[in-house]
Amino acid sequence: MTPSQRRWVFLVAGGGFLAFYLWGLVGLPGFGHYPGPYGDIINAIAVSQTHATAVVSAVNFEYRAFDTLGEEFILFTAATGVATVLRHLREERDTSAMDEAMNRDVPATSDAIRMVTLAFIGPTIVVGWYLTSHAQTSPSGGFQGGIVLATAFVLVYLAGQFIVFKRLSPVALTDAIEAIGAGSFAAVGIAALALGAAYLSNILPLGSTPGAVNSAGTIPLISFFVGIEVSAAFILIIGELLEQTLIVREGNR
Amino acid sequence: MDSLLPLAVAIPLLGAAGISALTPLFGNRRRVLDAVAILTAAAVTGLLVTIMLSTADGQRVYWFAGFTPSHGVALGIDFAVDQLNSGLAALTATLVTAALMFSWRYFERVASYYHALMLVFLAGMVGFCLTGDVFNLFVWFELMGVAAYALTAYRPEERGPIQGALNFAITNSVGAYFSLSGIGLIYGRTGALNMAQIGQAITGHRPDGLVVVAFVLILMGLLTKASIVPFHFWLADAHAVAPTPVCVLFSGVMVELGLYGIARVYWSMFGAGLGHQGAITAVLLALGTATAVVGALFCFRQRHLKRLLAFSTINHAGLFLIGIALLTPLGLTGAAVYVIGHGLVKAALFLCVGIVLHRLRSVNETTLHGRGRRLPVTGVVFGLAALALADLPPFALYLGAGWIGQSGDARELPWITAVIVTTSVLVGAAVLRVAGGVFYGLGDPPSEEPAMAEEASEESSETDTAKSRTPLSMIVPPIALVALALAVGLLPHLGELAQDGAVRFQDQAAYNATVLAGAHIAHPTALLGPEDTSVTTTDVVTGVGTAVASLVLALMALYWRRLPVLRRGFEPGTGLVGPIRRFQSGVVNDYVTWMVVGLACIGGALAFAIR
Repeated sequence: MTPSQRRWVFLVAGGGFLAFYLWGLVGLPGFGHYPGPYGDIINAIAVSQTHATAVVSAVNFEYRAFDTLGEEFILFTAATGVATVLRHLREERDTSAMDEAMNRDVPATSDAIRMVTLAFIGPTIVVGWYLTSHAQTSPSGGFQGGIVLATAFVLVYLAGQFIVFKRLSPVALTDAIEAIGAGSFAAVGIAALALGAAYLSNILPLGSTPGAVNSAGTIPLISFFVGIEVSAAFILIIGELLEQTLIVREGNR
Repeated sequence: MDSLLPLAVAIPLLGAAGISALTPLFGNRRRVLDAVAILTAAAVTGLLVTIMLSTADGQRVYWFAGFTPSHGVALGIDFAVDQLNSGLAALTATLVTAALMFSWRYFERVASYYHALMLVFLAGMVGFCLTGDVFNLFVWFELMGVAAYALTAYRPEERGPIQGALNFAITNSVGAYFSLSGIGLIYGRTGALNMAQIGQAITGHRPDGLVVVAFVLILMGLLTKASIVPFHFWLADAHAVAPTPVCVLFSGVMVELGLYGIARVYWSMFGAGLGHQGAITAVLLALGTATAVVGALFCFRQRHLKRLLAFSTINHAGLFLIGIALLTPLGLTGAAVYVIGHGLVKAALFLCVGIVLHRLRSVNETTLHGRGRRLPVTGVVFGLAALALADLPPFALYLGAGWIGQSGDARELPWITAVIVTTSVLVGAAVLRVAGGVFYGLGDPPSEEPAMAEEASEESSETDTAKSRTPLSMIVPPIALVALALAVGLLPHLGELAQDGAVRFQDQAAYNATVLAGAHIAHPTALLGPEDTSVTTTDVVTGVGTAVASLVLALMALYWRRLPVLRRGFEPGTGLVGPIRRFQSGVVNDYVTWMVVGLACIGGALAFAIR
């Protein structure tokens, strides 16, 4: 199809789809009218059943932990996929970047950026760790915390230290840590089986006080493993992509 | 016993993570990785066969984290396992094991990523088969998708794999987004994600726009995965570039999982609530027939062996959808047996192509003509598999085709048999033409138009240099798979067993009671009266006839230029070059546009029928 043919075919078909979709949307309940039983039941029982005061975390890491296991492995696979696709390209020399005029050096990082980013690294790690370890008490968890932790490593790069970034996160080690995080989540489930409970059951003591950091049994444990996996996966992906850019630059010099 | 169910997913996931985590320790000792991967896949196969055998007396339901439903509300996620889905999962694990064994000597260099990706792919497919929760279905759908995209791009040093993988990833992701929005809609109505609970909530009400739209949207991702026309374009592109052991899984099971998903979503959620079976049958039959015809015609014209087999898969996906579309126990029985036979045989065919690529460094039928005589064993296996694909008894495929045809006759749709036979003859002839030309040097090498020839030689080798002998680890898996297809076809009481599973699969009330109330239903009631599954003479005659007709057509294609009666210079299928190049353009924008066209047509048709 030529682009203009395609545009017309798409507009006509897309219009038909839109009408069809609207026919479905009008059947949704009105704003503020929650029809289903699920949220009401979970709100009523989750805190006493799991001792987690963050009910979303209770759903993510306990009631529907099996979904979360699959999602975590989606991220694991995506990171592995990025590594697979970029693996052979390491020796590649490409000439595509726009800002690569000959005889011009890549501008050095300014001291201001270096100063600010370095100052942020410590607090970022603290916040990331806080989010990862408080899934059971507040809206947070390993996915959010892991991303923040990965950001700390990116700040190292922003401070102009790609070498340090790579030294802090060599590919093989990051890969292994990522796999350990993902595998440990699956293993927590197996541990429940070994104790005769159902897969991914909450087998640890729940603690006496709902809302305490040391409550809710396996929920903080799973959140911790997810945090490890997520931060390692993002460090891996960002590192691979950054390396690509640097290779391109070196190739052009 | 029940604790085996989660292990079917947990073991391959742990295997993948373990392989990735241990790579720094084992580094270059590749055989360790190979062995761990093969053993993991084999263990999962054994596990799933055990599970399948245990479902003979009723469905098994497993609640993760122990949250059994109370008062018909599911708090957690369940696996709901019956004969059909555990059988499909067992087939999946079998093919993954075969593909991993084949890879033992196939790749020169292979990073640990390959094994980890294959095991994650396996886990995703098994989870997709067994789950009883529609969002969980989507999670595994995405997991197997991501693994499949990465495996397609496994040889990224060339441009082709990246392009094929991108087309695959974009079209399937677009389909998945539609599916997710459909899940969101039905959740907005029912507040439930468990399929049985959703089914119960929408049964007994008049189906309105929301239910119809949610059904069609959820189907989108599944139809795309199942490569149903016009959602099929990605498949040939992905097959052409993916490593051959990966193609085995794409054609052998992944496409079929999309069809399983359609059947599961229909019979576990929407069937009773939607009603209007006539309209649903009509829409699905139209899609299936179009797919079967397009796949067969494009298959016959191909010279690129992997693309040829890919189009044959599209043809078969259409035939399976016809079996499902009849909404009868016998139609579903036929589709299930057909899927198993086809999966085994198609996997063997792809593995033989892999051997050809390994030894002769080409997948172009034209340049390979006669060169396969150096591979006598591969030639015999390929030939047998090709005859099986052309429905030759007693390989399992003719039974599936026969039962789908019979069920069509019973529903006064006798043309279904005609569609099955004619398209199977075309596909069988194409594959047999390859067998005769490449492995036995029969006839003339096809003269080729430059455009198609260029396409057929785009494949560069996955192995660095041509090998002088075929390793045992490469030839044993295809032999075993063909033997298995034969054994399944000869299995006594196969029809009764499969129909038992199909009746259970279609009894939505029994499914609801089992999942939500823990009932044990020993004898589910058939939607329509169970039909006769004995093997009739008609089945055998039709099967033999299809195979013979394929053979004749294949010989005609090979000796075309020596036939006196025909116009000189005319090549069969010339008229198809234009359509193939126009529609199979490789431009993903076109593919997505056709998907939206298909969506609008399906939605419009069902909207007018059900409104």
